Amino acid sequence: MSIVSGASKKWVGAAVPRKEEERLLRGLGKFADDIKLREMLYLRFVRSPYAHAKIVSIDASEAEKIPGVICTLTGAEIASQTQPFIEIAPDAGGKIRDYPLAVSKVRYQGEPVVAVVAVSPGVADDGAEAVQVEYEALDPVVDAEQALTNASILHEEAGTNKVWNGVFEYGDVEKAFREAASVIEIDRMHFHRFSSTPLENNAVLSQWDAKDERIYYWCNNSFPSFAIQFLAAHLNVHIDRIRVQTFDIGGSFGIKITSYPQMAVCALASKKTGGRPVKWVETRSEHMTSSAHGNERTFRDTRVALDENGVITAITSRHIDDCGAYPRYEPLGCVIWSQVFPGVYRFKNARIDFSQAVTNKCPVGPNRGYSRMQHLWFLERVVDICAHQLGIPADEMRLRNYIRPEEFPYTTPNGCVYDSGNYPKMLEVAKNLIGWDGWKKKQAEARKEGRMVGIGIGTTLDSGTNNFGQSQIVNPGAPFSGNSQGANCKLDIYGEVVVAVGSCPQGQGHETTAAQVVADVLNISPDLITVRTGFDTERNVHTGFSGTYASQFAVSGLSAVHGAAQKLKAEMTRLGAFVLESKPEDLEFGTGAQGPELRSKTNGKSINYWGLANIVNVNSAVLPPELYEVTLNCRYIWRAPFKVPDTKKKYGNLTMTYASQLHIAVVEIDRETLVPRILDYVAVDDCGTVINPPIVEGQVYGATAHGIGAALLENCVYDAVGNMLTSTFSDYIPITAMNMPNVKYGHIETPSPHSYSGAKGMGEGGAAPIHTISAALQDALFDKGVFIEDSFNNPDSLFRALKGEIGRAAELVKVERRVGSQA
Amino acid sequence: MAIKFAGAFEVRGKPEDVYDFLTDPNKFAPLLPDFRGVSVHDAEHFTVKVNVGISYIKSVADVKMHLSESNRPRRAQYKGQGSVAGGNVSMVAAFDLAASGEGTKVAWEGEAQVFGRLTSVAGGLLEPLGKKQVQKLIDGLQAALHAASGGAL
Repeated sequence: MSIVSGASKKWVGAAVPRKEEERLLRGLGKFADDIKLREMLYLRFVRSPYAHAKIVSIDASEAEKIPGVICTLTGAEIASQTQPFIEIAPDAGGKIRDYPLAVSKVRYQGEPVVAVVAVSPGVADDGAEAVQVEYEALDPVVDAEQALTNASILHEEAGTNKVWNGVFEYGDVEKAFREAASVIEIDRMHFHRFSSTPLENNAVLSQWDAKDERIYYWCNNSFPSFAIQFLAAHLNVHIDRIRVQTFDIGGSFGIKITSYPQMAVCALASKKTGGRPVKWVETRSEHMTSSAHGNERTFRDTRVALDENGVITAITSRHIDDCGAYPRYEPLGCVIWSQVFPGVYRFKNARIDFSQAVTNKCPVGPNRGYSRMQHLWFLERVVDICAHQLGIPADEMRLRNYIRPEEFPYTTPNGCVYDSGNYPKMLEVAKNLIGWDGWKKKQAEARKEGRMVGIGIGTTLDSGTNNFGQSQIVNPGAPFSGNSQGANCKLDIYGEVVVAVGSCPQGQGHETTAAQVVADVLNISPDLITVRTGFDTERNVHTGFSGTYASQFAVSGLSAVHGAAQKLKAEMTRLGAFVLESKPEDLEFGTGAQGPELRSKTNGKSINYWGLANIVNVNSAVLPPELYEVTLNCRYIWRAPFKVPDTKKKYGNLTMTYASQLHIAVVEIDRETLVPRILDYVAVDDCGTVINPPIVEGQVYGATAHGIGAALLENCVYDAVGNMLTSTFSDYIPITAMNMPNVKYGHIETPSPHSYSGAKGMGEGGAAPIHTISAALQDALFDKGVFIEDSFNNPDSLFRALKGEIGRAAELVKVERRVGSQA
Repeated sequence: MAIKFAGAFEVRGKPEDVYDFLTDPNKFAPLLPDFRGVSVHDAEHFTVKVNVGISYIKSVADVKMHLSESNRPRRAQYKGQGSVAGGNVSMVAAFDLAASGEGTKVAWEGEAQVFGRLTSVAGGLLEPLGKKQVQKLIDGLQAALHAASGGAL
């Protein structure tokens, strides 16, 4: 008998077709709303029309008279039987009392005020319409800088709208400015709010089962291990009493991490109905107004010191983050940006004064590129503005400032260790792909004709696998540090290889990549491996960090899978050596006529997986005592080798891997309509060793689409009194294939020394298109005295910029050239 | 979303008569566009029921009105608040009266704030629609005062 094909084939790195494809493309995916239980009820929220108001009275009596309405639930009722949600913030922010329904006042339009539970969604709608809530309007505050004046306080118990403030200072800033050849000052820049518009909105089905004193969740939360920590404390139950299951998830991008308030209401509603299951499925407009938005950030008083060659030597700035009405996952965003503190650049001296404020807008949540994309956009704007002001070409400016390939692993001023990278090489690849020189000529010709054509570069980082110790930088009392992920790999009774992970994939291909990793360990085809994805508390493969977020599965998730597979292999080897009467080193793994097997290279004996599993599970009397510990059911917890950061100095390694992205866009602004049109686009990615090329490429396209949408189409607009004006897809225009340019994709591989496979987490993509398109628009408009001060640019904002209402470079950017400046 | 409106007109009749008309809910409320009914609670408070709708979004609004300033015969100010189609409306409308020849000059100004789902669904339509409705009210008011006092100047 011979070991057949693939004996030496490596599955990691191969273009293995996605195992998920068959199910998802044929409509056989199983999503949270597909779960239906006997006697299930439906929940609808009555939401606040006001951004800021006192609740004078609530009258649900008419709703409760409607046949089919089972009960209603108010914030006061919930507050009487629960604890406020845990706040991560210290001091003032930590005093905020956050309940899943508004208790005495509302703080953003769309905030849930009453829950109505009924026998059908339609009756629940009718019930919600019949609830009378009387409000007394209060002054809203919709701007974070205005919020910091505390003229109108959102949370009286906190006494201030400031959630957090900290100064991140490294190097010798004053000396760098004293010695600078040029100093450039930028008055204000602003990164806008946008969402992620997943295909599937939030959905929760919950049952508070008094019989076994447990709370069950079937939902699409994308960080359940975080959610249950908040829920257990809020609901006054032991965390082990909460079971959460997730299934296929139709996109999250981080936004679904913060659905735990709605999860709480569903459980409490179930409890009130005597344990009937209660389902809530969010509508699109609810999602847009009330789930979570990405963080909005304002950058004030930026000063940049440069040497005579245009190399940035220092940056100081004041950053104000708007976290909406309730901090929830915040103020983690106040530190997470510092994972990419210098971006891809070499400057060593910097001082960032970072504040976060609550405003009367939808709470924020982690959104693809969470907190880092705002900072990376800021840095890319700084680089381009300096380049334009000093007359240095954008590509040359970057080459002068990039961290050099030979400097890796590179320790940033705040102690993060960039594992690997080659930014100049990425620039070279991208320029070749787009035909840089050709476009430069075309641009020059177009400008002669009066056309507004710009070419922009965006270089960004996607930091993956967080050190949760960074939470202690925002709150030294936070009980989190490090990172870990769990996985289980087993031979079932009939010898099937079954892998379980604690992740919640939303299109990232975890089933496929996990199978590839195990396939390499056991030397079998990925087709022979079953991967159970989706979170399930009962599988016991999760840790407190399990979920899908922060570009980490390739490192943390697959390291756990790899560890579990290695453990299983070791047990199979021990067992196989006994059964096959061979030394462990004489065994080989492969696939034979009877399926996957172990084979002795010395005596020709073999045993397939069914045989091995049979001995352990149903024929165990043949086992000698020294093999009793062999279970062929191997759980492994991978731990990231992090240390707790120095919280006083705000110094330490905050992330395991740093994938990088370099995009180039050629954009023309139509002279008549001012519609920006992408003429050409290149995306080059470096995520280290590629585990599955089509999956990586697909994620690059997805992140590129997301970023282009955010740059040109998607904006959460509020009016002065806190009405969200873009709560439907008529006004908030998500990108579709129709708006997408043809993206030219390229990649390089600089393997990470920080992961067993050389892979780096990827998928968020650093929001590279936002930076790139801002750069291209500025390139198109800079000779008209316009600088791009906002991350969102549509024909209206470009019209106002060209009219001189916004983005006036002469007023907003100051340049001081000193003796010796040759740039 | 704020909708501001202001204007002035003159009618025959003394300011006292015009003031009395404006502050009588049974006379004033029916002039509201798409009026359906009024329920008077006391001299300063009444609730008016009106039809509202934009395209296919149709509803009935109960607007609680309060005569918040009453300085006979110089000034009357109403404050109102109501809920409609998933949103709320609050408004302030003031009428300043001054003798003008044989008649009265009525200077009116106000502001309506619209909150909630309606603004995002129909935000662009609200302002022109609101101004149209206000103009209807003023036209109705003028006509009624005209009839009551013997004709506009």
